Amino acid sequence: MDRNQLVKWLKAPAKMGHKYSLHAVYFCTGCGIIEVPPSITARWDAERFGVLPTATPRQANLFLITGYVSVKTLRAIIRTYEQMPEPKYTVGFGSCPINGGMYWDSYNTIKHLDRYIPIDGWIAGCMPRPEAIFVAVTHLWTLIDKDMADGYKRYRKHYAAYRANQEKVLRGLDWPPLFPVEEQ
Amino acid sequence: MDRALIDSLSSTFDALRVEVPREDRLTVQAPRDAVMSVLSFLKGRGYDHLHMVSCVDWMEEGQFELVYVLSAYGTGQDSASNPGEEIILKTRIPRELPTVVSSISLFKNAEPYEREIHELFGVRFEGHPRLTPLFLERDYEIPPFRKDFDTRQYVEDFFGSIPPVGEEDQDV
Amino acid sequence: MHVVWLFLYPIVALVVGVLFLGLSRKVMARMHWRYGPPILQPVIDIIRLFSQRSASHGRLFDLGIVLSLAGSLIIVLFLPFGDVAPLSGSGGLLVILYMMLLGPLGIALSAGESANPNASIGISRKLMLAIGYELPLLLVLLAFMSRYNTISIVEVVRLQRATGWSIASFPLVVSGVAYLLILPAILAIRPFELVQAPQEISSGPMVEYGGSYLALAKVQHALSMFIGISLSVNLLFGGASHPLIFLLKMLVILMLGLFVNAAFPRLRIEQAIRYLWRWPSLIGLVGLVLAVVIGR
Repeated sequence: MDRNQLVKWLKAPAKMGHKYSLHAVYFCTGCGIIEVPPSITARWDAERFGVLPTATPRQANLFLITGYVSVKTLRAIIRTYEQMPEPKYTVGFGSCPINGGMYWDSYNTIKHLDRYIPIDGWIAGCMPRPEAIFVAVTHLWTLIDKDMADGYKRYRKHYAAYRANQEKVLRGLDWPPLFPVEEQ
Repeated sequence: MDRALIDSLSSTFDALRVEVPREDRLTVQAPRDAVMSVLSFLKGRGYDHLHMVSCVDWMEEGQFELVYVLSAYGTGQDSASNPGEEIILKTRIPRELPTVVSSISLFKNAEPYEREIHELFGVRFEGHPRLTPLFLERDYEIPPFRKDFDTRQYVEDFFGSIPPVGEEDQDV
Repeated sequence: MHVVWLFLYPIVALVVGVLFLGLSRKVMARMHWRYGPPILQPVIDIIRLFSQRSASHGRLFDLGIVLSLAGSLIIVLFLPFGDVAPLSGSGGLLVILYMMLLGPLGIALSAGESANPNASIGISRKLMLAIGYELPLLLVLLAFMSRYNTISIVEVVRLQRATGWSIASFPLVVSGVAYLLILPAILAIRPFELVQAPQEISSGPMVEYGGSYLALAKVQHALSMFIGISLSVNLLFGGASHPLIFLLKMLVILMLGLFVNAAFPRLRIEQAIRYLWRWPSLIGLVGLVLAVVIGR
């Protein structure tokens, strides 16, 4: 650890903690999840970056959305995202969450995931290699350093709009709003 | 393929078209009313495993084609069936009034297949205990696997109508 | 000096426990041929967790975890750490035996409040496992008490200084083996990792813990690890005359535990109970009989 790091740790320990302890929630949406096992086991070893998979969203602060999102999966994604404690970071993995990818003209696949939950970063590619996860993690570090990974703040700020989009595509949600939604 | 089976099929039922496209495969084309009796006949002859039920939309001809794929476990003592063989039973039903009798009474595992076909093609299976949605979360005007369902138009209309959130304060 | 240690010792135990967690993660990674996280990774995790927002699930959820942590902190004071033994005058082994149940019990109370089915499975496993190792542990401790004719753990350590390590002396070696056999269960490492079992019951009692609650639970886990290892060093390996030597001995035991952890798969709960109540209990009983007969 060099001197610069030490100063940062002393100045903002919480931010550095969030940076170097990104615990990702196990959530298999699409085919991209197949890249995650090699990246957390001996071949690529995500733990050296402090990235560790956790079994429940309560313990996690990183949400990797790996692959296409069908309408039914979106419901689970929103529930998982809302259960994660703040601050939380979301990364869309693969080209499908970005704009639907090869499932663009599918009747049941979400096209732009960032219209339903806020996304802090994208990993493009079909499929991205496991190395891309680490590139994304290091990019996320930079974003956290500059306070630009503010997806959870945007979610709070635009919650009414996000909730409206979610309700539109899912035809009503069966849980109450996470934040109070003021009537317009 | 066993010659005796083909003979007994065509002698028991009239209006069947039986073909042998490959050595270990038999295609049977049956009218809608005969489906259940042909299925139970085949089940009695040892073809006791329903692989799947599928559906094809022949839009120009105004018909749906239901496809039942059967094979044998080969566990029956006196059955003449061979585990390597498949029997494909096809039936045509009109697109305007797509109803057919459910095959659950013969093959229990037909339940999810028929549910799926009901959901994606809009075929009604009479006697099916729960024709509730299986995969889809939304209602579609036309069931989405029908050929006249315009996916591209649907995507542009529906998913295009969902606005992006908070674009104005992203400084990218 | 005594009063200073009373406050310093729990902090030392915390630091050592958390460092042991980090060390075990690193060592396990090296055994998997991975590079592994930095040794301070649990510290980073705990800082992160304390600074996250956390959701409470009721008053008992808050109090249970505090009870568990407090119970563990108090046992630490009863365990000699080299020549440091702040609460050596009272209680001894019996108090330790009772207080060791507070850790699982507090977690059980707390996790039960969260009303998650995975948590319920987890706490039922945790309490079953506690019952599983309490029986052989009691037999082992009874053997030690009757052999050394005292219930004070400080006295046990002092007597070992005169007669040699109890694992190397004849009748107690049997009880010592029994203790080593249940040590993985006390430390909750594989093959007895079935309480957390992230792959099957999504980390069990911890499933609804987030933020500072999880941080407290992690600290409690670190402390219970410290307690298990420290108890074994004091009972079997003669304690130590200096805290540093004591730490060295603890490190050796930790490494042994990690080898077991790396080599074995997870048991099911009924297999674990069957194991714990069969061989360690049997050996513990033989050890107790031997200790009583030869002690006469």
